Amino acid sequence: MVRRFPPSALFGGGAVLLVILTFMLLPLAVVIMSSFTASQFLVFPPQGFSLRWYGEVVASTAYLEAAWVSLVLATAVTIASVAIGTTAAIAIQRRKLPFAAAFSGLFLSPLVLPTLIFGIGLLIVFSVYGDGPSLAAIWVGHVVITVPYVVRTVMAVLADADPFVEEAARTMGAGRLARLWFVVLPQARSGIIAGGFFAFNVSFDEAVIALFLRAPGVETLPMRIYGQLEFSPSPEVAAVSTLMIVMTVIVIVLIERFLGLARVSG
Amino acid sequence: MRANPGNAADRIEPVVLVTPGLALIIGAFFFPVGQILILSLVPPEEGLSIWANFARFFEDDYYLRVAWRTLKLSVIITVATALIGFPLAYVTARSPRWLAFLLLLLTVLPLMTSVVVRTFGWMIVLGRGGPVTQLLMALGLGARDAALLHTETGIVVAMVQVLLPFMTITTLGVIASINPFLEESARTMGAGFYRTMRHVVLPLSIPGLVSGSLLVFALSISSFVTPNLVGGVRLPVLAGAIYQQATSVLDWNFAAAQSVLLLGAVLALLVPYLALMRRAQHG
Repeated sequence: MVRRFPPSALFGGGAVLLVILTFMLLPLAVVIMSSFTASQFLVFPPQGFSLRWYGEVVASTAYLEAAWVSLVLATAVTIASVAIGTTAAIAIQRRKLPFAAAFSGLFLSPLVLPTLIFGIGLLIVFSVYGDGPSLAAIWVGHVVITVPYVVRTVMAVLADADPFVEEAARTMGAGRLARLWFVVLPQARSGIIAGGFFAFNVSFDEAVIALFLRAPGVETLPMRIYGQLEFSPSPEVAAVSTLMIVMTVIVIVLIERFLGLARVSG
Repeated sequence: MRANPGNAADRIEPVVLVTPGLALIIGAFFFPVGQILILSLVPPEEGLSIWANFARFFEDDYYLRVAWRTLKLSVIITVATALIGFPLAYVTARSPRWLAFLLLLLTVLPLMTSVVVRTFGWMIVLGRGGPVTQLLMALGLGARDAALLHTETGIVVAMVQVLLPFMTITTLGVIASINPFLEESARTMGAGFYRTMRHVVLPLSIPGLVSGSLLVFALSISSFVTPNLVGGVRLPVLAGAIYQQATSVLDWNFAAAQSVLLLGAVLALLVPYLALMRRAQHG
């Protein structure tokens, strides 16, 4: 009987793994630690323990306004993205749409093109054909880059769902809309919810498109953080960033609960 | 088969369902990207050639240096993510369920955290007086004010962390589909663990490593948030230069020409990437 992994590979592998994981989590850990510092400036290691910077954030209108803008934007993006992505996924996966493979490639394409190139294209279009950048322009950009997530999760769930349930409903006399509403949508439910959380998270965190479509008086949370980092990083930024990390963790837990991480990333 | 009175409606329904999405992708994605192509060919002054914007790029030492730095750093970043991503993906694929889940979670958490937040973390880690400086001082390798912030090394370190999840997830998909019995047979036939890795697992993982590398390289040459904040104003990369041209200088034609060059490079990488992914899915 051969040993599956020799001790050198087990120990070496374990050590390498530990280093890699430290490397991956280090920047997040440092931000979280820095947010609890009692000192006036960012120093490492943080001095003392205090919640003063969270207090500053909650008292700062600039941060609260940016957080509100991001929240409204991400909600509006999620609604549009779920509606558009779900119908497209149903058409591709469940209905006999011709060229289904080509269509699914088309809908996933914003995922592979770097957002920088898309961002400048949107800036040009809104400036040449519209009134220039605005929050609505950022909304359009975010819907485009989040639709692929919804299409992918809904298609994955529908691929596993039993198509004969719908056939049964049809035989029993259910009409077209009734079948979509009472059979297909409930079957796609977990994919719709997971895709929605993805869309919300991507929009809430997105900085590149937002920076390109920067309009006077419009500032999302990532834009504000970017501006602060260019100008002067402070423990206050660390507190806001920690709150964003917490939000991401919550979204991941919800996605895992509704769909399973392995299925989404695989 | 019974005669189906809803036949025409059956054909119309998917078209109706797909129309909003199709309109969005064509109108708000392909149209803007197409506009870049058109604008890049509009010369800055009447009478100049349509290639004037491109000529300006290739005749200016500054932009050539920026492009060279971008390419050089992206190659280093890609190689580093492949070297780190492969063992991580292998261990994740061959771990017991609980460990595999934990590793996947720790890959996805940074991926889904805003890039500005992660970059901020690296600014603290690499900055003056940060943990890296303290480590170097403790080892007697650096002075008190030594820092990796505003250096090319700093950009590489931060970018590798930002892009590693893409490499891991792409490679993981391929390694997970390798039949573990292949490794087992190699071992029973007398090959050692490392020999099996080299002659069985690595060759079979090549499609994953190649497509992961293409994706990481494409993302790397077009990133600007992390290089701008970690590298600072004295180490501009191509994407940062485009951002400046588009939002501060407002020279859209030149910015568009630079974007077209970037887009060309990205497409040259993404086409083989997509072909590989398709083969991995169907093969």
